[in-house]
Amino acid sequence: MIGGLFIYNHKGEVLISRVYRDDIGRNAVDAFRVNVIHARQQVRSPVTNIARTSFFHVKRANIWLAAVTKQNVNAAMVFEFLYKMCDVMTAYFGKISEENIKNNFVLIYELLDEILDFGYPQNSETGALKTFITQQGIKGQHQTKEEQSQITSQVTGQIGWRREGIKYRRNELFLDVLESVNLLMSPQGQVLSAHVSGRVVMKSYLSGMPECKFGMNDKIVIDKQGKGGASDEAGKSSGKQSIAIDDCTFHQCVRLSKFDSERSISFIPPDGEYELMRYRTTKDIILPFRVIPLVREVGRTKLEVKVVIKSNFKPSLLAQKIEVRIPTPLNTSGVQVICMKGKAKYKASENAIVWKIKRMAGMKESQISAEIELLPTNDKKKWARPPISMNFEVPFAPSGLKVRYLKVFESKLNYSDHDVIKWVRYIGRSGIYETRC
Amino acid sequence: MPYLSSEETVKELKRALSNPNIQSDRLRYRNYILRVIRSMTQGLDVSALFMDMVKASATVDIVQKKLVYLYMCTYASLKPDLALLAINTLRKDCADPNPMVRGLALRNMCNFRMPGMTEYIHQPILMGLKDKASYVRRVAVLGCAKMHSLQPTAEIDAAIVNELYGLLRDPDPVVMVNCLRALEEILRHEGGVVINKPIAHHLLNRLKELDSWAQSEVLTFLLRYKPRSEDELFDILSLLDALLHSSHAPVMAATLRLFLQLAAAHPAVQVDALEQARGPLLATCGSQSREMRFAGLCHVQQVLRSQPAQFGVHFKRFFCGYSEPAYIKFRKMEILVELVNDENVGLVLEELKGYCTDVSPDLAQAAIAAIGRIGRTYSEKCLDILTGLLGLKQEHITSAVMQSFRDLVWLCPQSTAAVCQAVEACEESLQDTEGKQALLWLLGMHGDQISSAPYMLESHIDGLKTEMSSVVKLELLTATVRLFLQRPAEMQDMLGRLLHYCIEEENDMNVRDRALFCYRLLGCGVEETRRVFQGPKSDPCMGVLTGRPQEPVNNWASWFNTLGPLCGDDVALPASCDTAASAQPAQSSQGDVLAGAVEEPLSIPEMGHQPLGLSLGPPLSHEAFERHWLELDVTHREPISFQGPPSSPETLQAALQLVKIQTLAFSRENVTPWKAYLYSHGSGTLILAELLQDGPAEGDGSGSLAVSLKQVPKNDTVIQEFASVLRTVLQTLTEDVS
Repeated sequence: MIGGLFIYNHKGEVLISRVYRDDIGRNAVDAFRVNVIHARQQVRSPVTNIARTSFFHVKRANIWLAAVTKQNVNAAMVFEFLYKMCDVMTAYFGKISEENIKNNFVLIYELLDEILDFGYPQNSETGALKTFITQQGIKGQHQTKEEQSQITSQVTGQIGWRREGIKYRRNELFLDVLESVNLLMSPQGQVLSAHVSGRVVMKSYLSGMPECKFGMNDKIVIDKQGKGGASDEAGKSSGKQSIAIDDCTFHQCVRLSKFDSERSISFIPPDGEYELMRYRTTKDIILPFRVIPLVREVGRTKLEVKVVIKSNFKPSLLAQKIEVRIPTPLNTSGVQVICMKGKAKYKASENAIVWKIKRMAGMKESQISAEIELLPTNDKKKWARPPISMNFEVPFAPSGLKVRYLKVFESKLNYSDHDVIKWVRYIGRSGIYETRC
Repeated sequence: MPYLSSEETVKELKRALSNPNIQSDRLRYRNYILRVIRSMTQGLDVSALFMDMVKASATVDIVQKKLVYLYMCTYASLKPDLALLAINTLRKDCADPNPMVRGLALRNMCNFRMPGMTEYIHQPILMGLKDKASYVRRVAVLGCAKMHSLQPTAEIDAAIVNELYGLLRDPDPVVMVNCLRALEEILRHEGGVVINKPIAHHLLNRLKELDSWAQSEVLTFLLRYKPRSEDELFDILSLLDALLHSSHAPVMAATLRLFLQLAAAHPAVQVDALEQARGPLLATCGSQSREMRFAGLCHVQQVLRSQPAQFGVHFKRFFCGYSEPAYIKFRKMEILVELVNDENVGLVLEELKGYCTDVSPDLAQAAIAAIGRIGRTYSEKCLDILTGLLGLKQEHITSAVMQSFRDLVWLCPQSTAAVCQAVEACEESLQDTEGKQALLWLLGMHGDQISSAPYMLESHIDGLKTEMSSVVKLELLTATVRLFLQRPAEMQDMLGRLLHYCIEEENDMNVRDRALFCYRLLGCGVEETRRVFQGPKSDPCMGVLTGRPQEPVNNWASWFNTLGPLCGDDVALPASCDTAASAQPAQSSQGDVLAGAVEEPLSIPEMGHQPLGLSLGPPLSHEAFERHWLELDVTHREPISFQGPPSSPETLQAALQLVKIQTLAFSRENVTPWKAYLYSHGSGTLILAELLQDGPAEGDGSGSLAVSLKQVPKNDTVIQEFASVLRTVLQTLTEDVS
């Protein structure tokens, strides 16, 4: 269990402090500030023990969240709790920043009150929390009967994430497949590690208590169907396009027992925006870009860098917001850059050449070359050559995931699957996309 | 932090809160309450406002109520008499038709930390336990625990305990888990909540309804349950099987722990569970969030203690990313060292080499140390890399390399020559204590092979006045005396100067005593000094060749998925709630003595595990060996099962050398019949041995080796012991190969 939760800014000032158990005193707040935030050396571990008290800390932007306990707890669980806390806060007021936390501190206290009781996690679903949280507006004692029964059913009911009696004139569904590709490539172009972590985010505006069924090109499902006597053709056409998912997590609403037995994803969706599933793949990833670096040291005071990027997807698609960051040594005195496409600039404060391209079609190639002049130094330290990193956004899923169907059934209200307007969108972004040079 | 002094702020707030104009304006009133809470957060003492805050609690505005309750919970213990005023309002709220208001009031009432509270909350809690809204029941159940924590010494209320056990069957899953938590706290002195068969099965059946935190907590509670029969055990395990693949890392880890502990008597099941959990564990190690990745890595390290081979193929998953924080990189390097095998050693070393030039000196040094560790098994490749690093001429790198060299030489005597060459070529002068110590040790121990050793020592002796660390001075003394014993002519003058300085001018008592000690010892004669100072030059244990023995899973299963793996063994944490369950029969690893690795680089120079006084010298020439071999009869003959010649005969040679058996000659690899001739001296006798493998090793590799021993003069006990030492060495090597 968690004894207390503190939120600090980067200076170590306490923004939020909530103590759940008697064994955590006020001095714990200061101990963490002195030993971790103001410590000179870098953080040695995300769990710090000070005087038999464990501090689990997570840093978001320049905000520290620390959970404190004196018990021997399951570390992964506490971290997951802190992430969840961050998610909930983001869902309520956007980015976690000092400004936002100061402005919403009443809300945060309210949230902390509901999420944890006596240090035990209680409820963390943003949707369900909304009923308990009186963020804005003053709710009088004399609520309407309807509202009251809603809370009661919410609080007692089996389905904690959706309230009853939701009505929309237009039944609409938005499905976003958001992926981030992570890559580490050796200078020779060998993939050292690559994985895609993706999320399926859904925004549902559906009336009543609809039952949804979601299907994608998951290898296990497709293979199963193939075996089940589907025609050869179907097997062939889908056989190659199916993907192997390493692991996936679902929103609470998905019936896991059904997923385990038949691998079908069926659920009653929460209202509004939520994350349906999270997954990870490591096999057969389509790497949208390839970076080919060439660094040559000409004498002690000059460096020649040539970087070629190649886009590796259908020519009809367009990648956006491409940014290549080429690190330069600390003793750089001047840089001349020539690039065929986009804009490139040397940013001395970041020690990097930043090359930006607005748009780039598939199967294209672009090149940048730079001459870096160095100040002669007597520092014998060799330049560590940090990797070249890249950012981009592409309109497809690099894991190869495809949404096959999303069916909606609502038995009580008279609308059918055909009446629901559905929108599907794929966005692939770069995670940590690095090529060593 | 607050710019105004606290008193003024409090006064100002008090004035504002009691101003009727402000009281009538809801928003302004609330704003002032907000300011009170903000000051409280910053650590200001605003307890003087208690009276005004109690007044503010009588409102219909829920936000305001929550704020005031928060305030009251903080200061109730300081102002118990005033807090009683608020209780009336709270008790009224407990009967509100709105379940949210009821829950809120009950929760806050229980949160008041003051002694007399129990009598006021007892009744509302009992009502709450029977409430029709699950929200209120959740609060009430935990309220029981809070009530108990207010008066930990009071009698345990049996009625409440029974009620809580009954509520384990509540339809709301959170109520059920809260019951477990509350019972655990209330019954702590009696060993916590009792998990009997019906409860255990009930919990297992409802596991699917719970959220991930509750799941992992319930799994921890289940550790306490001991199945009655094998059948029941396996029923439980198959129920839990699916959870082993849960993508919530905490749930997966908790399940794995339960598996390992339940199946403590079935090692095969444990191995299977670890196998199944490998995927999810690896996924955690690659998770998006750093802290989770760290937790995953720490747990992989635990698993590696028993199954080093399990992650070998996945070594690339443990390569460091550039932007990862240092704590992850350190763990990853530790893991990489464990994972090295014949196939991946090249790639791993290449990767580690990349980290050696990292901007952070700590990290670079750790990477070098990691290469040094790998060098104990793959010395040649690592020595090349380490020697190459010296060429960078950077102080922190050179220092770390020296330390690795010292450990390598101590553990792998065959690398001595290469190390000495490298040390000789290194011109960098070291500044840090650790590095200096390592260099001095090398100079002292192996000065006979480093021609410039006296000059290198001299520069240290000359710089003695500016040397701050007494540890370095002690090391310098030892090294100088040692080198003097090997090269007296060059060292005599230097030693004299050093002793003079240390005895006459040194302030540190420890150093002065050591110098005096050396001085007196030298007075006793050179032979005496040699006997004291010249210990063995390497650690004659086999640990290096065979690696760490595999630990039984039960050794660590009990603290898997607690704080232990993350914080290391040194943290004395309060034992987790399930010590009773984790009291497994601690199986001490009774591996063979030779394989028990002793890894301290400076162990006591004593060959404790060498009962037979075998010794290497004097060397025997080929002709002498042949003459003895032909003259003598075979005294002992035995077959030893052995899977072909070891990966390389050189390994065998090195291994035998460590147990003081000299190898005279051996045939090349993959030659049949394969032969080797060995000899050793022991208890005044000379022992000769022939190893012969005539048939080619069969497909399954289980060949047999004929050993014939000859001895002069005869001594049966010695020959028996020699045979057993040889057998152990061969068996260890065989295991290593397989």
